[in-house]
Amino acid sequence: MECVVQGIIETQHVEALEILLQGLCGVQRERLRVHELTLKSVPNLGVVSSEVRLLCDLDQQPEPTWTVKHVGGAMRGAGADQISVMVRTMIESKVSKNALRMFYSLGYKLDHELLKVGFAFHFQRTAHISVSVSSVNKMPKIHAIDEAVPVTPGMQIVVVTAPATPENYSEVAAAVSSFCEFLAPLVHLSKPFISTGVVPTAAAAAASLMSDGGGTTL
Amino acid sequence: MPVKWVLYWQPNQGSTVSTQILNESAQCVESINGVKEGRWKAALNYYKPMLRDQSTHPDLPRDFLGISLADQPTKYYFVIRSQRLVVEADASIQLIMEKLQSYKSKVSIYFDGFQYLLGDFRLRVGRVVPVHSETIRGIVMEVEYLPISSMEKARKVMEEFVEIWHEALSKRSLSGRFVNTELNFGEFGLADTYTPQHTGVQYAIVMAHMIATVQPAARG
Repeated sequence: MECVVQGIIETQHVEALEILLQGLCGVQRERLRVHELTLKSVPNLGVVSSEVRLLCDLDQQPEPTWTVKHVGGAMRGAGADQISVMVRTMIESKVSKNALRMFYSLGYKLDHELLKVGFAFHFQRTAHISVSVSSVNKMPKIHAIDEAVPVTPGMQIVVVTAPATPENYSEVAAAVSSFCEFLAPLVHLSKPFISTGVVPTAAAAAASLMSDGGGTTL
Repeated sequence: MPVKWVLYWQPNQGSTVSTQILNESAQCVESINGVKEGRWKAALNYYKPMLRDQSTHPDLPRDFLGISLADQPTKYYFVIRSQRLVVEADASIQLIMEKLQSYKSKVSIYFDGFQYLLGDFRLRVGRVVPVHSETIRGIVMEVEYLPISSMEKARKVMEEFVEIWHEALSKRSLSGRFVNTELNFGEFGLADTYTPQHTGVQYAIVMAHMIATVQPAARG
C-alpha cells in the first residue's frame, strides 16, 4: 500500500518549487519521462471489470524499462477521514517490454495513454518519500509520444507518495503530511480527486524563493 | 547465465511413470559421480479466464501459464505458448493477477527433487506433482552446462552429455527415456544467449508434451 497526496501548480512557479524541493530533500533531482498506458478488461472478462497500468520509463539506460502497476481502492472509514493523505493499495512489478502484448492477448484494451514529463525527488524522511512534478500530455495518435501535447497547458501536477504497510501507515501518513506543510506556500496537496486549485500565495512565495536563490527579484 | 536443457521422461507405450523411475534416475546421477547439492523446487500454474457470462467465449488464450523457477526466486514467468510469448516479471505480479480477478489458477503443479554437480554440469532431477496430491505425474531433468551461455555453442557438448546419460541409464532397463524438446527460441523473441525466459519456455513446452503423452499412461 501507499500514502499519496497531489496538487497542481502553474508552470511559471515550477522552477521555484524545484529550488524549494532541492533544499528540503538534499538529493539531486531525477528527470522524469514516463509513458503511462491504462488498460481495461473487455466486457465479459473477470469477476468485475479491472484496470491495470503499464508504465514505460523512457529515460532508463540502456533501454526503457516497463512496470505493471495496480492501484486498488482507498482506505475508508473514520480512521481514513481523520488523516489528510489517501492510503490505498498499490502493487508494482517490473516486467519485460512485451508485457503490453501479453495484456492485449489476455483480453485487456487500451483505455487511454499519457506522457508525463518533469522531474522527481526520492528521499528518506521517516518514510521513503517520492515527489514528482510533471506536465501531463496526451497523444493525438496512438503511442505518438513525440507529438504529445499538454492536457492542461500552463499547469503541472505535483504528486507525493510513500510506500506503507498496514502496520506503519499512520506514521508514514504523518511524515507525508508534515513534509507537505513545507510546500504549502507554493502548492496545496490533498487526497487525489479532491481538487483544491492553485495556491493564491504561490506568486509571492515563488518570487521570494527565486530571489533567495539569486534569481529574479520582486 | 549457463545454457540449460529441460528433459522429460517419456514412458514406453503402455508403461507408466513411477517413483521407482525417479529413484533409479537419481541413483544413476550419483553412480556417474554426481555430487548431491540439495533440494530444488519450481512451481507452475495454469490460468483460466474468469468469465461473467459463461455462454460467450471471447477469443482468450487457453494455454496461459505462470512459472516460478528455483534459481530465480524473485521473478515470475508467463508463457502463452500459442502466441509464442514469454514475459518476465517480478514475483509481485502474482498479487496483481489476484487483484485483477480476471484469471484464476486452475491447476497448480510442483516440480521438486535433488540438485547435483557433475564436473561442469549441474543436474536437477525431480518429480512433477499436482498441488494437494502426492501422485507423480512425470519426471523432469534439467541439464545445465555452467561454462557456456550460448545455446548454439553449447549444443554439441549438451548432445554428447545426453548421449552419455542415456547410455548410463540404459543399464537399468527402465521402460522409457528422457526426451529433449527441440525448440525454436527465436519464435519467442529470445536470442542465442541463455536467459531464465528460455527456461520458462522449456517448462511450458515440456508440460504440453507431458500432458499429451505421459498423463494418460499415468492414469492408466
